[in-house]
Amino acid sequence: MPVLRFKAERLMSLIGLKDHAALEDVAFRLKGELEWGPEGEVYIELNPDRPDMYIGEGFARAARGLLGFEAGYTRPEAVESGVEVTARGVETRPYIAAAVVYNVNVDEEYLEELVQFQEKLHDTIGRRRRKVAIGFHDLSKLPSKRIEYRLVDIAEARMVPLHGDSEVTVERVLEETEQGRRYGSISLAGHKHPALLAGGVIIALPPVINSEVTRVEPGTRDLFIDVTGTDAAAVLSTLEVIVAGLSERPGARVGLVKVDAPKVRGVTPRLESRRMEVGASWASGVLGVELGPGELARLLSRARFNAAPRGDGDTVEVEVPPYRVDVLGPIDLVEDAAMMMGYDALEPELPQLRTRGSLDSLTLLARELRKLAVGLGFTEAMQMVLTSPRAVEALGLSGAAVRVANPVQVEYSVLRPSLAVSLLQFLAENQHAEKPVRVFEVGEVVWREGGGVAEDYRAALAFMGEEASFEDVQAPLYSILRILGVAFNAEEAELPWAIPGRAARLLDAEGGELAWLGEVHPRVLEALGIEYPVALAEVSLSAMAGGSGRFRIRGHATR
Amino acid sequence: MPGQGGGASGPGRIPVSEGEYRLLQALARAGVSRGSLEELERATGIPRSSIASLAALLAEKGLARVEAVEEVEYKPSERGRRILEEGAPEERLVRLIAERGGEADLASLASTLGPEAGVAIGEAKRLGLIEVSGGKARLAVEPGEALERASRVRRLLEALARGGRLEPEELEALKRRGLVEESRRKRLIVELAASPLEVLSRVSVEIGRLTHEMLKSGAWRGQPFRAYNVRAEPPRVLPARMHFLAEFIEMLRDIMKEMGFREVRGPLVELELYNFDMLFQAQDHPAREIHDTLKIAEPREASLEGLESLLERVGRVHERGWGYKWDPRVAARLVLRSQTTSVSARLLASRPPEPLRAFTIGRVFRSDTVDATHLPQFHQLDGVEGWSGYTFRDLLGTLKEISERLGLEVRFKPAYFPFTEPSVEGYAHMPGGGWVELFGAGLFRPEVLEMAGVDYPVGAWGLGVERLAAAYYGIRDIRLLYTRDYDYIRSMPARRGW
Repeated sequence: MPVLRFKAERLMSLIGLKDHAALEDVAFRLKGELEWGPEGEVYIELNPDRPDMYIGEGFARAARGLLGFEAGYTRPEAVESGVEVTARGVETRPYIAAAVVYNVNVDEEYLEELVQFQEKLHDTIGRRRRKVAIGFHDLSKLPSKRIEYRLVDIAEARMVPLHGDSEVTVERVLEETEQGRRYGSISLAGHKHPALLAGGVIIALPPVINSEVTRVEPGTRDLFIDVTGTDAAAVLSTLEVIVAGLSERPGARVGLVKVDAPKVRGVTPRLESRRMEVGASWASGVLGVELGPGELARLLSRARFNAAPRGDGDTVEVEVPPYRVDVLGPIDLVEDAAMMMGYDALEPELPQLRTRGSLDSLTLLARELRKLAVGLGFTEAMQMVLTSPRAVEALGLSGAAVRVANPVQVEYSVLRPSLAVSLLQFLAENQHAEKPVRVFEVGEVVWREGGGVAEDYRAALAFMGEEASFEDVQAPLYSILRILGVAFNAEEAELPWAIPGRAARLLDAEGGELAWLGEVHPRVLEALGIEYPVALAEVSLSAMAGGSGRFRIRGHATR
Repeated sequence: MPGQGGGASGPGRIPVSEGEYRLLQALARAGVSRGSLEELERATGIPRSSIASLAALLAEKGLARVEAVEEVEYKPSERGRRILEEGAPEERLVRLIAERGGEADLASLASTLGPEAGVAIGEAKRLGLIEVSGGKARLAVEPGEALERASRVRRLLEALARGGRLEPEELEALKRRGLVEESRRKRLIVELAASPLEVLSRVSVEIGRLTHEMLKSGAWRGQPFRAYNVRAEPPRVLPARMHFLAEFIEMLRDIMKEMGFREVRGPLVELELYNFDMLFQAQDHPAREIHDTLKIAEPREASLEGLESLLERVGRVHERGWGYKWDPRVAARLVLRSQTTSVSARLLASRPPEPLRAFTIGRVFRSDTVDATHLPQFHQLDGVEGWSGYTFRDLLGTLKEISERLGLEVRFKPAYFPFTEPSVEGYAHMPGGGWVELFGAGLFRPEVLEMAGVDYPVGAWGLGVERLAAAYYGIRDIRLLYTRDYDYIRSMPARRGW
């Protein structure tokens, strides 16, 4: 989740707060997590739902509402800017919207926040620039007010990349700048790349980098903003979020841009609010508090909506500002109202409804088994389902194992197909423990079956000593099964990890597989670094609990 | 047999153990009251190590004295050992002369005996066994007598090597020729305070271990029991145990059951449909990306057969809510579930009747590298609760109740989750200090209920188990919850609360 870095002094003065504790409280109530940094900085972790708060003025707007210093929404003043954008044939990144904001008056401190605003928007709603990317330009440096958005030939077109000192081909910008290497492939179309041109001069290479020509710097007064992307709605709403943040600067005005582009025709930013209705009785029912329409409207105004009771005694009419991209429906307004009340004011109420609780049959069975296993001298191990492919291989179980396609660490890249894998890994790390070591584990195993994935809930017992025989696990297993009232028959089995002739399979009354046991083959022990003999038994609790915990996911053949 | 054969108890008698008593008896039989450990071992048949410890115990009771005596011991030197193998030089000389008829050339004797010829001739002359004149040596006595006398040195060395004792002048003879080396060592000499029979009359036997035999024979009667040092530490033993993390999870299950919740389960390998789509996470949501969610290598997609009506609702709600073309193939992708809310999603998709109260506790998976605070796999508790008229305050009430049953104080904070609105985080004040995030919760969004086809409000929450369990057991490194140390599990201190 995005962490915003602010100068505490600037943020507190924007809000109108004097003490640090008050800022902490405001951040908490606005879903933020605040941490004080060095040199007068403050870090606030915010949620991805409120990108409009990713700049000081936006955070302050919400805070001032919460604190009752301001209420409602005022549409910023807007004038024609005379800037026009036309877009044609950028199939890899078709959509564009643009805006001008006058009197932003960039200084060093603000420039840092502006860059941070851009980065955090890229990382969240921008989906790391794939979906949406933003460019800021010094309006006064635009070579022309006629702006084209089109593909350029990367070998022929030339530009001065941001912070560059000479004109180079787009191809070299993509290859030689850090941004080029990171984002250069997102919208590349063969040997062409989207570019923004003013008077024939490239001013931006969305979503990669801007041009030095229009660089924003301390002293820049007015900004031209371009937003491009692969989702027209997201492009438009991102522009609204930016404009709302920038137009909070004292004396700022919005300059409208005429856009002629796919799905975006006419003037941007739209600055269009949405109308919503929320019933006070419905909202009261959601929260469990009595809210009249007047009270609900007041709360929503503090949340910076324009809200007023309709006069029917219930409905509140709400104007949702265009920057509130998180508001999808009335339920989102209810949460804002609750936040304005403060969650501390919502007294928890334990429901008086009585229902009978129950535990899953597998849970109950596992509890019985665990008690019995402990009574028989076995200690419980608890290990991960994700395990090492080397261990699975050592037991000869690789063929059926489900692999993780994108593991972070090799040691956790396969799902255990048997608890035997886990227990032998456990024993391998207890070579110096006093013998015998008796250990058991209960948990899930997962394997590939019939093109799909199968999951089962099992228990396993292992015995390691100076000597270890089949009977060292057979006797306790039989004891457990008989006490649990499970009928079974034994038959010879070949288990990939067991010594031939010393392995058995138990079948339940219906002939279904119930358990597997045997002496572990010295080849397996050697591969895992175990220097003492081991006997091991594994039993399916799912089979004993009528199939609980047993899942079969059918695969779909993919090309 | 222990305790048998006398040593009657009585006032004034000194109590001894069965072992001490057996030693005294054996000494009495052998008629020995003093000797080194080796000598007493030979006399009694009791191993010298046992005699040493028993004698020390008798000495503590004033029944014996144990003194350490330094003894000088001689053994053949390297030259002595050569004589043991080859015979003494004078012996070989005498034999050579005898073989040649009682007289031999000095030059030929010297060449046969080599560098030892000088010693041989000197010693033989000194012993008066040969006479030398005119470059010849001849025996001065009968050959038999000459051989006998010439072999004396060898025989002395043999006796010494066998452990025998030599007379002082014999030792002197060997020392003079450098055939022995001396070493000093301490020997323990045990001496009873009186004759064995006298000592026996002063003692009585104590019972050590009470045995089945003694009970059967009644031999314990009239015998005192040896007092133990009951303050001494016993050997360490560890019990077979249930795993502490498993016990913590069972405690959570009991809390949920007692609060009226029904336990449900779901699979670890899950369709994105239940892990993401049904939780209203857009198909381009960053959480679905390769670096956040673990995916299955094979098969990559699940069959969607039989899910048609659910898919229709999910697609409709996504396209309306997020304004994009929803793709069922994305919903079919298989992942390791990243949240147990997938189990709640499955439950909701089954359209359970109200009132609904259910929970699950299970493993979830994340793209995290293992360190002291992260695991690629941990447990979550997920609960759902709902009926017509269920409110956000009801949800807060349930969360507060769970916290209190865990012995924790909770504070609520607004939060964001894609699938709940209003959303809330519950922070618990830990007894050790500091606030820890306990719950992520909220009322399911109307979109989620619409996808599931549920027509009453439902509250939901998730709780991360491991972080809480670690705090409960006072464990700082979360990896220790999954330790492979057998003794660590068996010696984990029990907790009955914070």
